[in-house]
Amino acid sequence: MRKLRLILFFVILVFILTSCTTDRHEVDDQVYTLMIGCDKGIENKVRITIQFPTYKEGGGGGMGKKGGGGSEEGEVSGTLVATIEASSILEGINLLNTSTTRRISFVHTKTIVFSEEMAKEGVRDYLQPIARFREARRIMQIIVCKGTAEDFIKDNKTQIGESLSKAMELAAKQSENSGYFPEVPFQEFYTATISPYRQAFTIYAGLNEFKTIKPLDGENVKKNSPLRTEYNMQPGDIPRTGNRKIEFIGMAVFNGEKMVGSLSSYETRYFLLATGRFKRGIFTIEDKNSPGDAIPFDLRLARMPKTSAHFENGVPVVNVKISVEADLGAIQSRIAYEKVNKINDLNRHLANIIQGGIEKTIRKTQQEWNTDIFGFGKKIAHNFSTVTEFEQYNWLKHYKEAKVNVDVIANVRRTGLMMSSSPIRNNEDTILSKERK
Amino acid sequence: MIKEGKIGTIEAISISTIFLITKAFYINPGTVIKLMSTAGWYATEISVLGSMLLFLILYLLMKRFPGNDLVGIFDIAAGKFLGKLFSLIFSGFFVYYSGVNIREFVEMIKAYILPYTPPSAIIILFMGIVIAYAYAGLEGIARMGYLSFIVILVGLVIILVLPFPFYDIDNLFPMGGYGIKASLQYGALRSSAYSEVAFLAFIINSLQGTKNFRKAGLISLAFAGIIIGTIILCSLLAFEYPQGSENLSALFQLSRIVYFSRFFQRVETVFIFIWVMASVITVSITFYLAVSIFCKSFKIPKYRPFLLPFAFCTFLVTLLPENISEIVEKHTNFLRSYSMFIVYFIPILVLIIAIIRGKKGVKEKDEEA
Amino acid sequence: MAEKSNALKKLFSYLIYKDKKQVKEFYIPEADEIRKQQDNCKVTRKDTTPPQEQKSKGIKKPVPISGVKQDKNADTQKADDKTISTDITENMKYIKAKFNASVNKDIVLREFMIAEKYKAFIAYIDGMIDKNVVNNYILRPLLNGEKFKGKDEECQLDFILQSVLETNQLKKITKHSDVVFDMLSGNTLLYVNGCNYYISNETKGFPARGVEKPVIEGVIAGAQEAFNESLKTNITLVRKIIKNHNLTTEYIKLGERNQNLCAIMYINGMTNPAIVDEVKRRLKGIDIDINMGDGMIEQLIEDNTFSIVPTILSTERPDRTAAHIVEGRVAIFSDGVPFAKVVPVTLSALIHSPEDAYMRFPYGTLLRWIRLLGMFFATLLPGLYIAITNFHQEMIPTELLIAIAKAKENVPFPTILEVVLMEVSFELIREAGIRIPGIVGNTLGIIGALILGQAAVQANIVSPVLIIVVAITGLGNFAVPNFELALGIRLLRFGFIIFGVLLGFYGIVALVMLLGIYLVSQKSFGVPLLATIAPRTTRSNDLLIRYPIWKQERRPDLLNTLDRSRQPEISRKWTQENPNYSHDRVGEDD
Repeated sequence: MRKLRLILFFVILVFILTSCTTDRHEVDDQVYTLMIGCDKGIENKVRITIQFPTYKEGGGGGMGKKGGGGSEEGEVSGTLVATIEASSILEGINLLNTSTTRRISFVHTKTIVFSEEMAKEGVRDYLQPIARFREARRIMQIIVCKGTAEDFIKDNKTQIGESLSKAMELAAKQSENSGYFPEVPFQEFYTATISPYRQAFTIYAGLNEFKTIKPLDGENVKKNSPLRTEYNMQPGDIPRTGNRKIEFIGMAVFNGEKMVGSLSSYETRYFLLATGRFKRGIFTIEDKNSPGDAIPFDLRLARMPKTSAHFENGVPVVNVKISVEADLGAIQSRIAYEKVNKINDLNRHLANIIQGGIEKTIRKTQQEWNTDIFGFGKKIAHNFSTVTEFEQYNWLKHYKEAKVNVDVIANVRRTGLMMSSSPIRNNEDTILSKERK
Repeated sequence: MIKEGKIGTIEAISISTIFLITKAFYINPGTVIKLMSTAGWYATEISVLGSMLLFLILYLLMKRFPGNDLVGIFDIAAGKFLGKLFSLIFSGFFVYYSGVNIREFVEMIKAYILPYTPPSAIIILFMGIVIAYAYAGLEGIARMGYLSFIVILVGLVIILVLPFPFYDIDNLFPMGGYGIKASLQYGALRSSAYSEVAFLAFIINSLQGTKNFRKAGLISLAFAGIIIGTIILCSLLAFEYPQGSENLSALFQLSRIVYFSRFFQRVETVFIFIWVMASVITVSITFYLAVSIFCKSFKIPKYRPFLLPFAFCTFLVTLLPENISEIVEKHTNFLRSYSMFIVYFIPILVLIIAIIRGKKGVKEKDEEA
Repeated sequence: MAEKSNALKKLFSYLIYKDKKQVKEFYIPEADEIRKQQDNCKVTRKDTTPPQEQKSKGIKKPVPISGVKQDKNADTQKADDKTISTDITENMKYIKAKFNASVNKDIVLREFMIAEKYKAFIAYIDGMIDKNVVNNYILRPLLNGEKFKGKDEECQLDFILQSVLETNQLKKITKHSDVVFDMLSGNTLLYVNGCNYYISNETKGFPARGVEKPVIEGVIAGAQEAFNESLKTNITLVRKIIKNHNLTTEYIKLGERNQNLCAIMYINGMTNPAIVDEVKRRLKGIDIDINMGDGMIEQLIEDNTFSIVPTILSTERPDRTAAHIVEGRVAIFSDGVPFAKVVPVTLSALIHSPEDAYMRFPYGTLLRWIRLLGMFFATLLPGLYIAITNFHQEMIPTELLIAIAKAKENVPFPTILEVVLMEVSFELIREAGIRIPGIVGNTLGIIGALILGQAAVQANIVSPVLIIVVAITGLGNFAVPNFELALGIRLLRFGFIIFGVLLGFYGIVALVMLLGIYLVSQKSFGVPLLATIAPRTTRSNDLLIRYPIWKQERRPDLLNTLDRSRQPEISRKWTQENPNYSHDRVGEDD
């Protein structure tokens, strides 16, 4: 035992003498990048923007002074934004250390943003550092933004709470509540780019300058409020105003490492439905018995879609069976859809709309870009016995030839808190006369 | 002779299983996926079967000479000179094995958690632990092995279950990998990756009987097959085969992608724990074996004075590879694809010699009766 | 005038140089010096004293009763260490010499005539005996001649033993060494002229504490008795619980100078005799100056002096001791210490609390797990905190990390210094809390910690998260049921802090592994410390989960008790029988 102790003592001594703790960093010796943005550079290959929180005290964590008079210029929601041009991401970060007073750490990076321009040219050069570098985590979100990433990050702030990191993680989680955009961790994106089964996609985001919404009291404004369902929009186009300019809507579609196009909000929903990623969302259709009135549903998947694939005369055939459930949100026309016979009608109508939408979306990916973001290749792979054969066939090339059959079953399960809707009375007609019409 | 004490069958199974599965925490799953792609998870079972077969041949040898360990059998069957030579080869092999294993471990530690720490610091601490373990002897290692085995199993289950949102069963198709021929060929060759189980033959006297030896060997092989197969399977499920073959450590990568909520993520610490534990046990066994085989073959009663010189040799081995590529391509590849030519074929050669020369462990049988 | 001259003298004394009065300083002379001096004295005394003695004898002292017939048997044996003389004077002389009675005033020798016939004396040490017993039950019957009437035999000692003395314990003592020891332990010795033995009467009567509540092993459920300083009481307390005729107590004297009595207790015929033998062997093999009780014995007989965790269980609870004895262990008691030591033990015995067994199964298990969690915190928490904040920042949720960084922004020290600072001050509070007198002590410990922590945070010396870490660590440490184990854990904690700061998690796991192999190779009286887990033995039903009591059918396997089974497979026989008043429940599921 004495020898053991001696060895122990010796080991400790060696450690203290060599001061081996070069990996030790105090918490406050580092700054933790929350977001990295990549733009095409002008002077050099890439322009990197990073955002990291400051350690300025709001006094015990209570009420913080944010954005107020006390904050520095360029400070966004308790964070600082820095931009640099460099030859690669990692070196760019390193270069930033010349001006940032503390070591920049990636361990808590939540999001990486590519500008659309850059994504279209290919992101190959910038995937590697994240996949290879130990500090970067593969669970970070990956976003393609319209406009420049630099502007995007400058507008990345939190209004509700103090914590930007919380806001960022929660913002990405909103995918579950709406289905207007997918939630894509880097891990999945990266796997998809090198996958033989499928192609990559990611969140499409942009800044809304609040210009698409016309002021209510403006000139030449006709307020006839037309009903528009399947409101297909790109980021930045939503007619809204508010504080946070950033909006996530739709998705960017990649062929390999290059972005080839984007899906709009409802196309994204159809995509999510077809791949089983759709959690829930309000889905509005037009009442076919009363045009101009909308029926919003609380839509969700009844079960995971069943996809199967086989070859018919050398042509790949993919069958997708989707089963959705919905709760009635409202019936603007107050037609009694709750009745058993009518509810089946409604089911069919809803199913048709969704089926049409999904088919259209799939056709779009086949014909416009020939990129299988749906991952049908995984099912096609069942028909091959070895990897060698599968790779020789090269599914990604043959995607556009595939015949995709979509079958949607919709089922309105519940009608909310009402079993029927009584007509609204006014001082003009009796109910009977109205029904007679 | 060295008094090694007795170890129970379950303890033997534990250390043997840890010994076999430690490599799955390193580069092994990545290499297997690279070689066999989607077929990796079941092709590794072919390796297990191959190893089981060879192990049973080894068992025949041990049965022929009951009451002797492999070193003694070498001496009896192959003669004093050849026997000593074989023993020394094994001793050297285990020194080499410890060295490469430590180096592989250090490279992983450096890659994932301590990138800027001087490797010598990591190695010295590690060697210190290993010496302490070897000093405590086989009984201590076995007991600690059993304790660690429980922890390692629990940790493995946690790591393999938590990333399930990323699992997609379709990633296993096409099932055939690179074809049956490739799977069989590499599967058989990689029996070497399961050849470590032969170490039980050196501590057979502590196992209380050849029956227990066979039982411990086969059960631990089966365990190891299941565990490594599952790790490869999960790696495939989560990463698909192209990325699966990229990963330096499949398990670590799996633990890094765990993400449940804002609070429940980043559980790779669990992995560091089981990783170090498994490595310590494995290297302790090999290191202890190297010393004890050396001492047994020269009939030196005390092995403890040899710990430091052997530790120095091991340290030298750890310095052999220049970079991680050399470790992956030369050293571990050698250990996992060709080590069975030492570990299994020398005993089989001895068995053949014994049969030809008609040697049998008669004396011990008389004593038993 | 006199005053004036005095003042003048004083005045002069300031002016004139005067030899200072020599102050003799005391020093402790070397042992050799003393011996030499004594030898000189003896020589001189030999020359001078005899005539003086005679003189003084002749003048001052009245002739003692025993002196009357002294000359008649002049050829009596001399009393020395080995033999007891048959002559009363010799024996008195011997005892007086042995106890330095000329200076040592505690020794009382009382001479008297039994029934006015036999010369006798009693000897005892003042204060150690119960005077009541000596007066009423020894002296009175002996001095009272009534009983002796009609008994004219020459040696009445057997008669005295059987019929006269009214004390409860008597024994003949035939060795002078025993005589000395018996007197020292508070017995009264009776010598009757003409015998070559003494009679020792049990008259111990020194002050002792009553049986009180346990101090460091308090429980909510269960007995509230604790040992006290009296060996007899302690043994009685155990015997009171185990009413078994095989429960055996053996006594061993320890300590060259103080001859402290130790007792070992075990159940004969159940405890493995090898364990008893080994305990006795180790106890008898101790050669030590002074034995201050079982805390010292523990250090002298434990397997490894440098062990971080204790290998001997120390308890102040009779019920816990009894439970261990019944499981097949050996308990060691020592006079003057309110603790019992139990050997051999495993680590699991150290982390169990007696309460576990008293509580119902789910509660007992819950308590045990909470305690384990406490131990985990106490050992690892500060180390983990350092490792995480210095090496693995990715483990902290982002918001918390930023909060920590913000809080640390104005703290000038590195985390390690903060941790050490807080840990050390916490240890200080704990150590000082014991010594702060009275009621203040208890409150000051808690308040001190709170105030210190709060102030340290406000003064930007430490970050607030750390206070929580240190506080939880301290709480966890108090949850450890064994005081010595808790001390070991305190030590280990600093080890983990060092390794954590050097190499992060890798260092911590490394130390865990080192600790593991260390614990695994530790033994307590032949039993591996981690037994039942490593090495694996038959499953214990009382390890981490405390199974229902009726399921604990076997004694701990590792103790190799002669009787393995604790209770039959079915302990609750009533479950097998029908109740006396019963009705069939028709149509209900059972």
